[in-house]
Amino acid sequence: MPHAEPRQAKPRGPLEWVLVGAVIFYAAVLLVGPLAAIFWGALSHGLGVFWRSISGPNARSALWLTLLLGAGATVINTVFGVVVAWVLVRDEFRGRKLVNGLVDLPFAVSPVIAGLMLILLFGRNGWLTPVAEALGVKMVFSLPGMLLATTFVSLPFVVREVMPVLAYAGTHQEDAACTLGASSWQTFWHVTLPTIRWGLLYGISLTLARALGEFGAVLVVSAGVSGLTETATLFIYRSLDDRNQVAAYSMAMVLALISFTILLLMELFKRRADEQ
Amino acid sequence: MRSAESALSAAHPAVPRPWGRWGLRATAISYLALMIVVPLSAIVATGFRDGLSAFWNDITNPTAFAALRLTLTVAVLTTVINAVMGTLTAYALVRYSFPGRRLLNGLVDIPFAIPTLVTGVMLVVLYGPQETLGAWLQARGIQVIFATPGIVLALLLVTYPFVIRAVQPVLLEMQKDQEEAAYTLGASKWVTFYRIILPTIAPGMITGVLLTFARALGEFGSIVVVAGNIPGRTLTAPVHVFGQIESQNPRGASALSILLFALSFALMLAVDSLERLRGGHDAAR
Amino acid sequence: MQRAIGSQNTRGRSNGIFVAILILPALVVACGGTSGPAGGKVTLVLGGYTTPREAYGKGIIPAFQKQWKEKTGHEVEFQESYQGSGAQSRAIVGGFEADIAALSLEGDIDRIAEEGLITHDWKAQQNRGIVSTSVVVIAVRPGNPKGIRDWPDLAKPGLNVLTPDPRTSGGAQWNINAIYGAALRGFAGTPKDDPAVSKQFLRSVFRNVSIMDKGARESITNYEKGVGDAAITYENEVLVGRQAGQKYEYVIPRSTILIENPAALVDKYVDKHGVREAAQAFIDFLSSKDAQRTYTQYGLRSVDPDIAREVQSKYPQVEDLWKIDYLGGWKRVTKEIYGPQGTFTQIYEQLQASR
Repeated sequence: MPHAEPRQAKPRGPLEWVLVGAVIFYAAVLLVGPLAAIFWGALSHGLGVFWRSISGPNARSALWLTLLLGAGATVINTVFGVVVAWVLVRDEFRGRKLVNGLVDLPFAVSPVIAGLMLILLFGRNGWLTPVAEALGVKMVFSLPGMLLATTFVSLPFVVREVMPVLAYAGTHQEDAACTLGASSWQTFWHVTLPTIRWGLLYGISLTLARALGEFGAVLVVSAGVSGLTETATLFIYRSLDDRNQVAAYSMAMVLALISFTILLLMELFKRRADEQ
Repeated sequence: MRSAESALSAAHPAVPRPWGRWGLRATAISYLALMIVVPLSAIVATGFRDGLSAFWNDITNPTAFAALRLTLTVAVLTTVINAVMGTLTAYALVRYSFPGRRLLNGLVDIPFAIPTLVTGVMLVVLYGPQETLGAWLQARGIQVIFATPGIVLALLLVTYPFVIRAVQPVLLEMQKDQEEAAYTLGASKWVTFYRIILPTIAPGMITGVLLTFARALGEFGSIVVVAGNIPGRTLTAPVHVFGQIESQNPRGASALSILLFALSFALMLAVDSLERLRGGHDAAR
Repeated sequence: MQRAIGSQNTRGRSNGIFVAILILPALVVACGGTSGPAGGKVTLVLGGYTTPREAYGKGIIPAFQKQWKEKTGHEVEFQESYQGSGAQSRAIVGGFEADIAALSLEGDIDRIAEEGLITHDWKAQQNRGIVSTSVVVIAVRPGNPKGIRDWPDLAKPGLNVLTPDPRTSGGAQWNINAIYGAALRGFAGTPKDDPAVSKQFLRSVFRNVSIMDKGARESITNYEKGVGDAAITYENEVLVGRQAGQKYEYVIPRSTILIENPAALVDKYVDKHGVREAAQAFIDFLSSKDAQRTYTQYGLRSVDPDIAREVQSKYPQVEDLWKIDYLGGWKRVTKEIYGPQGTFTQIYEQLQASR
């Protein structure tokens, strides 16, 4: 049952003002300060330097690679995520609880561990290296491995956001569509999908944000070849090494701006999903 | 974040459609098997490759042990601070109107969206020893970057939303009447807080706390930039795992990784069961 | 709870959004595929250690590209990766398909050879495969406020010394060898040829080491951020830093080791990529006068005696300069100093236990 949001009251008395003040101070020091600092760091040498830093060939290819990996991971996790969510909510089979628990694993795993997993599977003596070689795919120190790593770390979001919406919606409409003669695909496309629309979009935006920001796993799995296997985050890391602080801060600011945009979308989708 | 556990228990099986159901089930399970089970087994197999005593040595040798101890220490510190400030922030956002309330509410989710490396870089820009603020602090003997405070700061930043977003919905749902009633009956603000509010938000707080702790254990991107590599002082477990990978010690790296994610995973399972309990409680109301 | 079934229009529109959201990224992925090799164009992958990235990136590679274009009329493209020498060596062994490995120390190239990736006798190349040299120095703050003049000063209590992690960084190993060797040779205020006392001395220096970064470059950039009183590093790292505007000074100890940096082509990947001709030309180019002069423009010392004479003023003589042979060569050093029972390993574990 939706609750009306309780109206906020102005703080009464010194204690309440201190509380509010403490909260604001904490947020300012923790959140706002560093955010402002990165903007200052990127722009303090002027807009021209900032622009030059992020429009060079290495920077551009790093951003492009980040978007590529982010998009790829998002598509994969969206498609399979919906399938997994569907199966976990609508299907009944033994071991369902176990499978459900598995989905949370990428949350529990530090990104470097995700990278380690891939090295163990596809590195020199990896379990799956013969398979990869037979297929002619180079996994580690190369793009496919980075894509796999990015997909892994951003896996749970779509599943976790779609499951509650799917459960909440119930099967009445789907059953109705079925009795009216709709095929499974039609039912999914015209009934299920619109139902889970906002939850799904929220999950997609979380996935994208996570994928774009991935660092630890790709650090382990890529050789950081600039212009080839260097993502925006790796670019930042390397620029700090190159004594090119401005380039690092500038790219960081670009990533921050992209994150804010995704954040706005996230908030929008979340609100719509909550309203449902 | 929604309760997936309650979704699981509230699920209604659809009208059986044989081919579709089996196909979907197979797809879902193969996807999870390939993406999660196989990598997991690789790590577990590698970690225990040379037996239990080797595993034990990998996680208790001086550097690894110091890294683990530091990780747990900063995780606890972060969790405690986050529990307090997160709850207060949630309370302030829900109950009070003050200038900037809407802005703050929007800002809370930023750590969900921002890359952790960018978080670390932000802290270096602000507190690095050659920056004005950093130099000022260092002159007074306070070192932030390359010292434990820097690590805690980074962790507080990345876990900022967890407690807030776990407690906020609970506070929103809570009947304000209860609070008002207690207050008019003469209970002081503190008593009201302890007897009425705290028990109600406790489950939300615990969820937020567990998530914070689990996240703090595995944090890498922000720490690798703000911390040095001093074992015992600024070398955390995930960074040490990274060092082990780079030093071509997959067994050692795997052993430590197993410990870390077993701990985090146990915490996430605890969160899930809590959600399930709460889901049941809510349904009963 | 029954949801009102919306009009066909709204549903169509929201489905349209879905299609767009799913197709758009797929398009991005499709268009983003790396293009195949252009006719005649050759791509060489260079796996280097951290320090010479400017030397290769700004100097040697452009010079070689020009020469290759003049000689063959074709372009040669380079893909460069720079990280700690040990880390890079292991990456190449672990699957990073570098055509050319330009690393900090012999041992890291040997590792690649031992795994069967280098099948030719790379030490039979000119200058035993060494392309550049440098020396271990100590970087200090402007004006040298802590008065560091030589190795013994690094053991002064309360000093904060930076040096990288020998597990990943070649530079770190050169540094440790330099300290230990200088002590053994009697230049650290210690009696000559006394391993136990020299080990003590190494230990007292490392008591002052608080941060060990992954690579020589990371270490010096840390120093530049204001961390530490002194940094043990390559001479060329310091020179490149100063070229970039950094204001630190450096001290060349009386006795220090000659850092010899090897480069070799990696047969397995060179043949896999079909770039042997270009790769061999690049290796040969590294010994040419042009390349050697370029190395000296980026802080490295030259193996060519003529070029070395040319730049003598910039690269002062060292009073007691010795090579890795003094310590028995890299194979022995790897085992006796960095092995599981090695001198440094023991020191490190002792210090950690006591912290």
